[in-house]
Amino acid sequence: MDQDTIPYDTLGERPLPKWLTDQRDGLNTIQPVAMEMKDDRSLSISFALTGAIILLTIAILTIYILRKKKNSPS
Amino acid sequence: MKSFHLKILTLSAILSLACTTKVSEWVLLNTVPGQYTLVFFHKTPLTEADRKQNATISNNIKPANIEFRSVERKDIKESYFGLYYGSRIFEKYNNQKDLAGLISSPMRETIATDIMTGKLCVLLYLSTGNKEKDEKGLQKIKSALTASPFKDIITVTELSRNSVEESHFVSLLLNVEDDLKAIHEPMLFGIFGRFRALEPLLGKGITEENIKLMIDFLTADCSCLIKDDLPGIDILFTNNWENPATALVNKILDENPSLLHN
Repeated sequence: MDQDTIPYDTLGERPLPKWLTDQRDGLNTIQPVAMEMKDDRSLSISFALTGAIILLTIAILTIYILRKKKNSPS
Repeated sequence: MKSFHLKILTLSAILSLACTTKVSEWVLLNTVPGQYTLVFFHKTPLTEADRKQNATISNNIKPANIEFRSVERKDIKESYFGLYYGSRIFEKYNNQKDLAGLISSPMRETIATDIMTGKLCVLLYLSTGNKEKDEKGLQKIKSALTASPFKDIITVTELSRNSVEESHFVSLLLNVEDDLKAIHEPMLFGIFGRFRALEPLLGKGITEENIKLMIDFLTADCSCLIKDDLPGIDILFTNNWENPATALVNKILDENPSLLHN
């Protein structure tokens, strides 16, 4: 009853019931979200991060060793 | 912790069952029929005779999905009864005699029995009295059902629009949509659940394809979208809808999994 028909001029133009058109068009079930393809940049980000971590580790170790050498009595 | 897990498991099982229950079965088991209101409009204050009459009517219609009220209105010429579904008026009756058979009739009882014994639905063909038109629609229904794997669990019932015995039922059906009374074409109503009538297929819309879609609608998994916005209206009827027989549609679908669909 909540789906009462919208106005129409002739019987031929009378719309089909909503439950029927929804069933025909597959709208009575929840539609899955459409998946979109995106550029996969995860590999390059991974390489960059690995490189940065290696460089940072080398820098920290270098500073640590140099300081240790400087402070040690020769 | 163990009992918490058990609760979660039980809830999941119930939810998964709910999602695979078919529309026709879910509506029969879970919905509460829409409520009608019969209003006695009176111009002058109620007399003792009015009170007695109203008490009798109120008592007689109690078993159905309807309630009774009386309303005083100064802008009317004579007292009358108005039948409402929600805020929409379906019919006016001049006196108590006109209300005879309002909440039940032989055909409504037969249809309810069919539904309670596990049938998928009843296809009610409301004929016009025009033989040519009526026969055309009837042939479409027959050929659609012959091709349907659900033909054995669907009953087809024909009712004349001019039936005197079922005049209240005809009136209720013609109120499923607000323009049906003005359309003199054969109509096909799908009746299921607790006497829910879908908006009908009518005239040239009664095709094998559309009848198949109607059957598909009733045999589909009951999605939340359907539960939230159930099409059609509940027909006024008196019946106990508790403990229906197991839905026969499940047996057919279990034996033929290829028929399962959303």
